[in-house]
Amino acid sequence: MENLGIDGKLLLAQMINFILFFFLVKKFVVKPFTAFLNQERTNEEEKNKLLEKLKKSEEASVEAEKKAKEKMKKEFDVLFIQAKKEAQSIRADLIKQAEIDALEIKDKNKKLLEEEKNLLYREVKDKIIKTSLMIVESALKESLDEVSRKKVTGAIIKNYEGKVNFNEN
Amino acid sequence: MKINPRLKKDLKSFLLENIQKEQNRVLVMSADILGFDERQVLGKKFSDLNWSQADYQVDRSIIAGIIIKVGSKTIDLSLMGSLSKLSNTLYEID
Repeated sequence: MENLGIDGKLLLAQMINFILFFFLVKKFVVKPFTAFLNQERTNEEEKNKLLEKLKKSEEASVEAEKKAKEKMKKEFDVLFIQAKKEAQSIRADLIKQAEIDALEIKDKNKKLLEEEKNLLYREVKDKIIKTSLMIVESALKESLDEVSRKKVTGAIIKNYEGKVNFNEN
Repeated sequence: MKINPRLKKDLKSFLLENIQKEQNRVLVMSADILGFDERQVLGKKFSDLNWSQADYQVDRSIIAGIIIKVGSKTIDLSLMGSLSKLSNTLYEID
């Protein structure tokens, strides 16, 4: 062995050294490292589980939100239709009321116009009658002299054929 | 104070007579003084009236014709009256 250049003692020492190194490494390095790895793996698994849980929770919440949105939409649609119907009903009522008011105003104005027309007619008639009579009276007074007046008076008395029918004062 | 019944009766009959006279009194209004002929014609036309105490008045505003008043009653035969009647008729027409 010595001829081969191998030192038995050194080899033994190296082997012992190696074994010692192996045990020491195994005990103080590999074991904690393995434990650390295991711990990390466990943590990772827990994290994954948590993530999965969170994902599921998120999905559930998304689903719930979707359902809530659908429900809201349905409620909104129902309310919208109801509001639309009510608005149409109110609109119809308003139109009806407006029509009634318009008719009333029209009738009132018509009556007013008719009254004003009648009033105007009476005023015009009154003025025409008064003016006509004034003209006739004036013309008679101017045109009849004493002789004519006497003739007219005589004719009236002669032509009077009625009974003695006096007017009460 | 007591009034003598005879006096009261006399007063009453006097007042009644006066009222009667006033009621039968004829008043003729014309635009010009009526002549004898016209008065004669009037007497014939209205023979029921008492013409003995008739009053004759001139009123130019009646234009022509006559108005006869007996008490509170009136007969209007004047042109002014005719115009007035015409005016009333015109007012009655719509």
